[in-house]
Amino acid sequence: MITIENLTKYYGQHRAVNNISFTINDNEILGFLGPNGAGKSTTMNMITGYLPMSAGKVVINGVDITQDPVKAKRNIGYLPEIPPVYPDMKVKEYLSFCAGLKRVPFTKRKAEIERVMDLLKIKDVKGKLIRNLSKGYKQRVGFAQALLGNPKFLILDEPTVGLDPKQVIEVRNIIRDLKKQHSVIFSSHILSEVSEICDRIVIINKGDIRAIDTIENLESKLNAELVLHIKVKGNKTTAASIIELTKGIKEITAIDDEGSEIYSFTVNLEGDADQIRSELMSELLKNQVNILEIYTDKPNLEKVFIDLINSPSKKNNLQDLLDEMGPAENAGTASEDSPEEKEEN
Amino acid sequence: MFSIYKKELQSFFYTPFAYALTALFLLLFTYMISGKIADLNDHIAYFSYTEVFYNVIIYFIFLIPIMTMRTFSDERKFGTEVLLMTSPVSVLKIVLAKFFANVTVFLFMIAGTVMYPILTEHYGSVVYSQLICAYIGFFFWGTMFICIGMLISSFSENSIIAAIVGEMIMFGFLFLDDFSNSGFISQYPKLQSVLYSFAAQPRFAYFSAGFIRLSDIVFFVSSILVLLSWTYISIEKRRWKRG
Repeated sequence: MITIENLTKYYGQHRAVNNISFTINDNEILGFLGPNGAGKSTTMNMITGYLPMSAGKVVINGVDITQDPVKAKRNIGYLPEIPPVYPDMKVKEYLSFCAGLKRVPFTKRKAEIERVMDLLKIKDVKGKLIRNLSKGYKQRVGFAQALLGNPKFLILDEPTVGLDPKQVIEVRNIIRDLKKQHSVIFSSHILSEVSEICDRIVIINKGDIRAIDTIENLESKLNAELVLHIKVKGNKTTAASIIELTKGIKEITAIDDEGSEIYSFTVNLEGDADQIRSELMSELLKNQVNILEIYTDKPNLEKVFIDLINSPSKKNNLQDLLDEMGPAENAGTASEDSPEEKEEN
Repeated sequence: MFSIYKKELQSFFYTPFAYALTALFLLLFTYMISGKIADLNDHIAYFSYTEVFYNVIIYFIFLIPIMTMRTFSDERKFGTEVLLMTSPVSVLKIVLAKFFANVTVFLFMIAGTVMYPILTEHYGSVVYSQLICAYIGFFFWGTMFICIGMLISSFSENSIIAAIVGEMIMFGFLFLDDFSNSGFISQYPKLQSVLYSFAAQPRFAYFSAGFIRLSDIVFFVSSILVLLSWTYISIEKRRWKRG
């Protein structure tokens, strides 16, 4: 288990990661979701011990990464955003070097390299120089490196960026298989990817955690709000009044004029979508309004995601409010996080 | 640590890098030796190897930074620094492994020069005691320059800049004794003595004259240790400073 407590990171005056806490359980895939520049990579760099934190604590399997970095790092396989490969090395040479670096016992090294090469299907390029590989292969070689030595925790920073659709599916399947033996933290800014393979997701924006929950819970929050799209040909006012008066319609959120008497309506629903839809259709037909298209949006995470990252961050304790006021003013305030420490960074 | 050492050596010896560097060094060395041999005539029947070493040292200023420039700069450039830093290896071991790899290449470079005393022995005689002292001095001097080059490389992401800055600093080091003995500095005896104590050239001169003095060894060993520690601190500091 990895425990992250009150992790904070300042780049000069800029706060990249703000007081975040969460845990990664064993045999779990945790999605780390946020737009570009949300603080995902910074957080991952801190978890793996590459960047020191300004405040907070990362405990990996009971070992604090700042107290005993060498021991803590043994349990981690890390694939950074840019695969850390040496262009002048051959694939097998590189993996053999990484195996040594990760202290894989000499006798097991060969088998271990074969295993990861099989898993990521890079055997056919094992004799090639890394500089001559395509982006997708480089990414997979970097991924293979993270798996060497079978570390308990895998931290993958956007592992599918730059891969073609087929490779993306392959990598996702690999990650799903890894769950049996490892815990995976997996960052992405692509929502569908995260919702497909992760057990839980952490949504982060501008250094703040906006939500930590399972996919099901986040989706169920949304179920109450269904959206209906309907495209009609006919009189706009008639159509609008019929739609508005139908039982179960909450409100019309948008009307688009598409020319030649075609209008599309976006409507929020309440209650049983199927029943509302059939009622609405029969009403419209009765009044000679032709329906060209009608569908309800499946409940998806896209909206939750956008709502969450756009919502202002909640200031839930005094320290947050004080931080907002600027470091100079809270220098004298006593609190659990020492402000002096933050100022130093 | 051994795997980093091995990887560094691979990057030198699996590419033409180490061989090209050694060839260039031997070419320059041979040029010096052949000049000395050409000077031989009925009146002068000997030449001094230590003088050759003394003259060759100036080439180090160009060769050693080329060798060390990539040490840390390239790791940063290719993003492989993350790999080293997140592996279960301490920063100290990374620095040491890279240092030993550079020293190994340096030894490979000077190993080629051994053939000249052997050839000379065949046609005449060689004063071995002095030659061995000169090699020891040569080794210390080169190792110190390697440490300077590594330190500079840890400052910059651009290996070319690392090489040029390294050359400038080594050039300064080489002429520090001349500078401290110049008329201007001589006006301030205190400053002169401080500057002179940092000059490595006169200390090398003792080695090449066949003296092994404890103070010279202490000077070289301590400057190597200081420079290596500084390299370690510079890498750690950069990690902290970035955040």
